[in-house]
Amino acid sequence: MQRSISKVLVANRGVPAVRIMHTCRDRKIPTTAVYSTPDRLAYHVRMADTAIHIGEAPPIESYLNADKIIDAAIQSNSNAIHPGWGFLAENADFAQKVIDAGLIWIGPKPEVIRLMGDKIRAKEIAKQSNVPTVPGIENVTSAEQIIEWMQKERVAFPIMIKAAAGGGGKGMVKIDTTEQIAGGLAQARSEAKKSFKDDTVLVEKYIEHGRHIEVQIVADEYQHVVHLYDRECTLQRRNQKIIEEAPSTLESDLRQEICVTAARLMRRIGYTSAGTVEFIFEPSTQSFYFLEVNTRLQVEHGITELITGLDIVSIMLDVAEGKPLPIKQFDVVANRSALEVRLNAEDPKTFYPSFGTITHLRTPLGPNVRVILGASEGEEIPPYYDSLFMLLMASGTDRADALRVMDRAISGDLRLEGIKTLAPLLLSLIRHPKFIAGDFSTKFIEDHMQELVSGFRERTGEDEMLRVARYVAEISALGPQGWM
Amino acid sequence: MPRKNQPQPAAAPESFAFVRPGMSAREIVQAVRDLDGVCLTSVSMRDAGQSDFKNRHRFYDLQTLAPTFNEMGLFSAECHGGARWHVGIMNRRESPFEEVQMLRRMMPNVLLQTLIRETNLWGYRPYPKNVIEYAVSNVDIDVWRCFSFLNDVRNMRTVAETVMKRGRLLEPAISFTVADWATDAYYLSVVRDIVALCGGVDEIILCIKDMAGVGNPARISQLVSTIKQHYPELVIHYHRHITDGLGIPALLAAAQAGAKIVDVQEDALVRFYGHPPILGVQAYFEESGIHVHLNRPAAETANEKVREWISHYEWAESPFKGYDHGVTKHRMPGGAFPSSFEQAEKGGFFHLMPAILRVMSLYNQIVCYFDVTPGSQVTWVTCSGIVNRYAKEQGEAGVKRLIALLSKFVEECAQDFSAMNEAEQAEMLQLFRSAPGDFKNLLTGNYGKLPVGWPADWVYQSTFGDEWQAKIAGRTEESPLETLADDDLGKLRLTLADAIGRNPSDEEFVLYLMHPKDAISFIEFREKYGYAPLALPTDVWRNGLQRTGQKVDFMLDGKPYCIELVSVGAEHEGMIHVVLKVNNVTRVYPVATPRAKATEVRMAKGPNDVGATINGNVWRIGNPKRGALHVGDVVHKGEEVANLEAMKMENAIIAPFTGKVAEICVKLNDIVQEGQLLLVIEKE
Repeated sequence: MQRSISKVLVANRGVPAVRIMHTCRDRKIPTTAVYSTPDRLAYHVRMADTAIHIGEAPPIESYLNADKIIDAAIQSNSNAIHPGWGFLAENADFAQKVIDAGLIWIGPKPEVIRLMGDKIRAKEIAKQSNVPTVPGIENVTSAEQIIEWMQKERVAFPIMIKAAAGGGGKGMVKIDTTEQIAGGLAQARSEAKKSFKDDTVLVEKYIEHGRHIEVQIVADEYQHVVHLYDRECTLQRRNQKIIEEAPSTLESDLRQEICVTAARLMRRIGYTSAGTVEFIFEPSTQSFYFLEVNTRLQVEHGITELITGLDIVSIMLDVAEGKPLPIKQFDVVANRSALEVRLNAEDPKTFYPSFGTITHLRTPLGPNVRVILGASEGEEIPPYYDSLFMLLMASGTDRADALRVMDRAISGDLRLEGIKTLAPLLLSLIRHPKFIAGDFSTKFIEDHMQELVSGFRERTGEDEMLRVARYVAEISALGPQGWM
Repeated sequence: MPRKNQPQPAAAPESFAFVRPGMSAREIVQAVRDLDGVCLTSVSMRDAGQSDFKNRHRFYDLQTLAPTFNEMGLFSAECHGGARWHVGIMNRRESPFEEVQMLRRMMPNVLLQTLIRETNLWGYRPYPKNVIEYAVSNVDIDVWRCFSFLNDVRNMRTVAETVMKRGRLLEPAISFTVADWATDAYYLSVVRDIVALCGGVDEIILCIKDMAGVGNPARISQLVSTIKQHYPELVIHYHRHITDGLGIPALLAAAQAGAKIVDVQEDALVRFYGHPPILGVQAYFEESGIHVHLNRPAAETANEKVREWISHYEWAESPFKGYDHGVTKHRMPGGAFPSSFEQAEKGGFFHLMPAILRVMSLYNQIVCYFDVTPGSQVTWVTCSGIVNRYAKEQGEAGVKRLIALLSKFVEECAQDFSAMNEAEQAEMLQLFRSAPGDFKNLLTGNYGKLPVGWPADWVYQSTFGDEWQAKIAGRTEESPLETLADDDLGKLRLTLADAIGRNPSDEEFVLYLMHPKDAISFIEFREKYGYAPLALPTDVWRNGLQRTGQKVDFMLDGKPYCIELVSVGAEHEGMIHVVLKVNNVTRVYPVATPRAKATEVRMAKGPNDVGATINGNVWRIGNPKRGALHVGDVVHKGEEVANLEAMKMENAIIAPFTGKVAEICVKLNDIVQEGQLLLVIEKE
């Protein structure tokens, strides 16, 4: 059934809000921004055609307040809501409420969101769909059970014994040899008992030097499911991605396999709109295992757009309007390489958030650079929300080319004053020989932090100029100083 | 790292350069011997500024001389060492290493010269052998003028060995003064030690360092002749200040007697305590029949360059104007003149200067060494301390009495302690009781042995009281090189790394070895303000931009930059907002004023308020009996509630009445001012 989107309310702020408004503008669809009190003068508010205040600073009172957002859509004559990412993006109840209010929900169906939100059921469905999942065995009580399982399923060491009720590393024991199994099991059960009053444990294969690979999917309500190739999101700090690239560094036949597998799963669950299937990849065995489905637009979708030339948000709008996908799998040609870095307002050494005013901002320009800016110069980065305020992407004919562009973008043009950002760390990372060689895992940053930090001190002419200017300002205000 | 757009040194016809960096010491010495007439060392880049401008001449200005110096045919340019080092990092925020690197590029023909204080290097205390070796090996200098304020040649050994091993030219100096004990025979013995240390006369140049300017022409002529008679092949370099007004004739006398090199500076730089003017010296020498190896037109150009910037340094000139023939008595060296007068001015005892100089002239007959760093500092601190104490305790009359006492002892009684009456003896035995630590170190031999023996026993009694005999028994005549244990360089480097939060460069480490506290503050300054000390012209460096629309252009890394003042706002709650256009982009700089803190001080006003009785440091809140005091505690009238320390004195704060502590308004170790609110007590 076709329906027409006349105005989109973007239920988000910062980078995602701005990103979605870009495509709406391309399609001449007016937009409504919502904002909390401290975001009154934020960039996404200025960019929208209308803006509605939805509450105070705490997200629960504003960007997570479903009723106020739906009211705002009605009040502003918006007939569709795009949730962006984060906040209410994967909230099935919200999606349902939007639909119940007679509005168009730009995203996957609420039941699919709910289904994939249940990680255990998601894994079951994956297994049923012949998608490899991390091998495991539940309700383990004896070492023999484990050995038998390993032989039967041909699982190689290492393995991990985990408390079923677990979390926080309690009751988790890594096992590298057969001899360790009995002791490890006893230890895990005893810890589990102490921590959770439940000594039920499960055993899973432990993926060493795992890499995080995901596949972008778009699908419509006519059962067309198309993959837009894969992305690599291995570089993380505190389980948050900071550098992504597309395509991943997988061999191309393996890429074919993982992409088709992802599409199969999504077709099976009746997915619509844009979504991502995440896998963990084990280099030593060249095996990949299903992790989860992200039922939303992702931060890193932009690099897929760069290598395919498609606009994923635009496809989401098409699907939401009940149109078929504008492309067939055969049309999708990923013939470039792209890289994204997340510029979070954080101390690059400690990852502590760095709130404050962006006193000076210059974004990189030049060939093959794409920037999504969530804030403008003079704006304050408020302490209540995500520290991401800028996405920086670079593309090229191959990975080395994209890396060169990214280096130029960060080290040459980018300029940020007033807040600390991850920029020094990101530059250090993309210059690291192991990163350049594609030899890294999810632990890369923590394992190489010292080395990465030592690469930080690069003084630019501009920094030097500002040091001199600071001196001139002080002496102009205070006159000759006693120490002179 | 030259940060300014440098005029490139001329492609160099170089007809005047007769010695160059890279030549061996022997080749340089031979080139000087072979030279027709005399040649010159320019001290414009170091001692000239030190003697008359408190070492404030910035590299920004001095570098304008470099391209000209490159063509002038100088023997060397003294551009390094002495107090320029310390003042550089402390006041000008320039690194002596940067200076040398830039000068190397800008005047590649010129031998760069330093002044080094044997074991005291560029600091004020004796350093152990490994520090000396490390520092000397890390400094790229061609001519190493090394002096000992005790004329103790043993102390030069490590410097001499390190310099000569590197193939650089050592210029050992004899510290020169005029005194009855400073005879030709005495100096000859020093020269003998030097020649023995350096293995002959072919790889060194001997400097006669007349740092105060007290050698009258006849005396210096006689000394040079005597040395030449004994060591005809030894090249002699005469360094002399002009404080007594006799600089030029004394230089000529030395040259006529056989000195081959003399120290000069640009005429436009000459004030009262520095060195003779280069153009005047050249003209006078030529007229007297002594050829001077000098590209005179180039020297004239250099002099004009100085005129372009010297007016920026009027504020740094000594407040004590005019020549001072009295220097032949008090012997304060040119290099120490301005800084001593600056201290006197800052300390509010400028009016006592004549008395201090008089006391110095008597003191230096009681304790004999050479008034040059670190000796001049010991003399200054000791004598100004004594005079200040008398002035404070007994007023002007006391100072007069002090001078009368010392004059009687030295001039009438020929230093015969027993000839003084009992009361005078008692007073003299208190004279040095509060002398500075360095004076005490000097007496116990920490710097090495004194040139003509230890002072009389009464000086020890006066300095050390009851411990005087033990101090004499423990006194050593050995060189500090023998007595000082090596420092743990690895550990020191880590301490510096800790302080600055990163690994220091070798050069930063040398700065730290010489002046730990000031080196850290220098490194921090440069982290914050970058190349401001090198890039900014002197008026902006000192005064900033003073009116709207005023611009400053400067170069960094070969690129032009411009800063323009838009406005300086009014002070509001300790902040001033300065608006600048930096390369055309408007930027606002909030600047905290020194008043920012002062506005927050709460003063004791109400009847329940207990205020500070003095300016001081809160080192205890409560008293030893009851321990720390807390809000809610009951204190009794007369009980000590806090204690302030000022100038090492404790000052108890007493509860004015019995009551309960309602508020404690200061923290431990706060610096409080007189009248500041310390705590509030509520009457019970």
